[in-house]
Amino acid sequence: MENTLKQGTSHNIFTWENLGDIKKGRAYLGEDMPVLVYRLMQYTMLDVLSKEHGDEKANEYFRQAGYLAGIEFAKNVLDLQVGFNTFVANLQKKLKELKIGILRMESFDDLNGDIILTVGEDLDCSGIPTTDETVCYYDEGFISGILEAYTGRVYSVREIDCWANGDRVCRFQGAAE
Amino acid sequence: MDSVAGLLQDYLKNVIHEPEHAVLDLHKLPAEFQNFGKELIYFSECVMESSGLAKALAKGNLNVKLPPPGNEVAAPLKELHASLKHLTWQTQQIAKGDYQQRVDFMGEYSEAFNNMIERLNQRRLALLDEIHTLVQNKSLYETLAGQIEQWIIVTDTDTSERLFVSREMEAVLEEKDSGNVLCRWLQTQTEMMQGKDEIYMTELEMENSGIIRYYSVSIHPLNWNGRNALAFVLTDVSSERERLNKLQNMADLDPLTQLYNRRYGMEVLEDWIAQCKSFILSFVDIDNLKYVNDRLGHAEGDQYILCVSVIMREFSPNAVVCRIGGDEFMLLAENWNVDEARERLEVLRRALIGWNGSPGISYERSISYGVIPVGPLASGPVLQASELLSAADEKMYEYKRAYKLRQKKRAR
Repeated sequence: MENTLKQGTSHNIFTWENLGDIKKGRAYLGEDMPVLVYRLMQYTMLDVLSKEHGDEKANEYFRQAGYLAGIEFAKNVLDLQVGFNTFVANLQKKLKELKIGILRMESFDDLNGDIILTVGEDLDCSGIPTTDETVCYYDEGFISGILEAYTGRVYSVREIDCWANGDRVCRFQGAAE
Repeated sequence: MDSVAGLLQDYLKNVIHEPEHAVLDLHKLPAEFQNFGKELIYFSECVMESSGLAKALAKGNLNVKLPPPGNEVAAPLKELHASLKHLTWQTQQIAKGDYQQRVDFMGEYSEAFNNMIERLNQRRLALLDEIHTLVQNKSLYETLAGQIEQWIIVTDTDTSERLFVSREMEAVLEEKDSGNVLCRWLQTQTEMMQGKDEIYMTELEMENSGIIRYYSVSIHPLNWNGRNALAFVLTDVSSERERLNKLQNMADLDPLTQLYNRRYGMEVLEDWIAQCKSFILSFVDIDNLKYVNDRLGHAEGDQYILCVSVIMREFSPNAVVCRIGGDEFMLLAENWNVDEARERLEVLRRALIGWNGSPGISYERSISYGVIPVGPLASGPVLQASELLSAADEKMYEYKRAYKLRQKKRAR
């Protein structure tokens, strides 16, 4: 018999509401958890997807998931009606509060919208072994989703420096299409 | 053949001192040193790239080509470069007026930077408050300036520089004639106010386009921004002055003849006596006025009085001529002696006799007069004003009796 009292839609389709009431659900353990657990899920999922679909396809899935997260995060957490500088200041503050990373703007071209920013102590990669590759595909999507939600323009974001290839901050370059 | 140690040593020396000449020829190394040689070259390249970046950063050059990914030796410097780029961007935003920028996780620098921004923002907010207050005050002032009628000008006491000029005042100063008059007057008043620290009240009379205007002026010494200044507040009192003049005239003038009245004449007489002036006092009486009034009517009588008044005024432009009764006049004149006065009045009398009155109406017009000298040089006791007038009146009756006697003899 079907449960007619169910609250949300299928969890296979993302909605912000389906993230649930974490405070209520984790009354004793609270809303935070170690980065280790996050990475455990991230890299095991990457492993499975890579084996199933190949590295490139797996990375692209991560990028798309990040993009969806960026759009939803921007819509639900950030104020999209403020000026650009205020928006960046708020984003910087929010990423720090949620311990996602230390966002630092390097440049923004008012005319064409090109942007370069860095994320220090990045949640995805800071401290991982150097393997001569970039790994923050989820972040690439996340940043492009946020920028698109704010500017209304489609952004292509690529990571040009990463902890995984020997750097200490992750540098992202975004170009508005 | 060079030793392996020598080759490696030379290479490392060049890496440190002359990187542009640092070359390690792997062919010269034995097989067991090939991998070591390759790793040493890679390491040396990492060091040289890091050194290049460090030198660029030392010169403040942030637009430098960064070492490629994989150079872990350069990673901390690249992190520093990223931080400096970020700080540059933040500083540019602050310069544009964005005080929301904050620096995190840079130790003492973050604290100092964030404190600076906080203070800049507080100062900005304080300035905005101040600007708001100033705008409010300016608006209030403009409203007041538009409502009040006073003209205001503030000048520097030492340099005469105009520190403030109200709009109406500006317009007057721009006019050629009145502007020059006003400038000169302000200069004179400024010199007069040197060293004074109390409010001074005065008046200004100024002609503009043929119209004379009167201003009541209060001059306020001020200390403004460390400068000694004078604030001139001008109030237009022309209409009040005009009303005052009318009242004065009503109080001093005879309504029919517009000559001075008895009250004013006696005031002048008493004043001249008090000042010990030498002058003559003449009592003038119109002959036959009663006859004209009774026989020809009061309108003709008034015409007769007016006729005498006009002639008296024309003949005695420097004298004070007053109508002190129905047919009686008093004449006070400085710088005349008794003989001169009699001569003038005799001329006046003869002029009256020859005067043509209203058409078809004929009667003899003439006057009788008595003249007495007054002042320190005059003989006899010192008399009061009314006594002097009586004395002149007595002389006039003497003249009138003598005249009538002459007329009777002529009639026989």
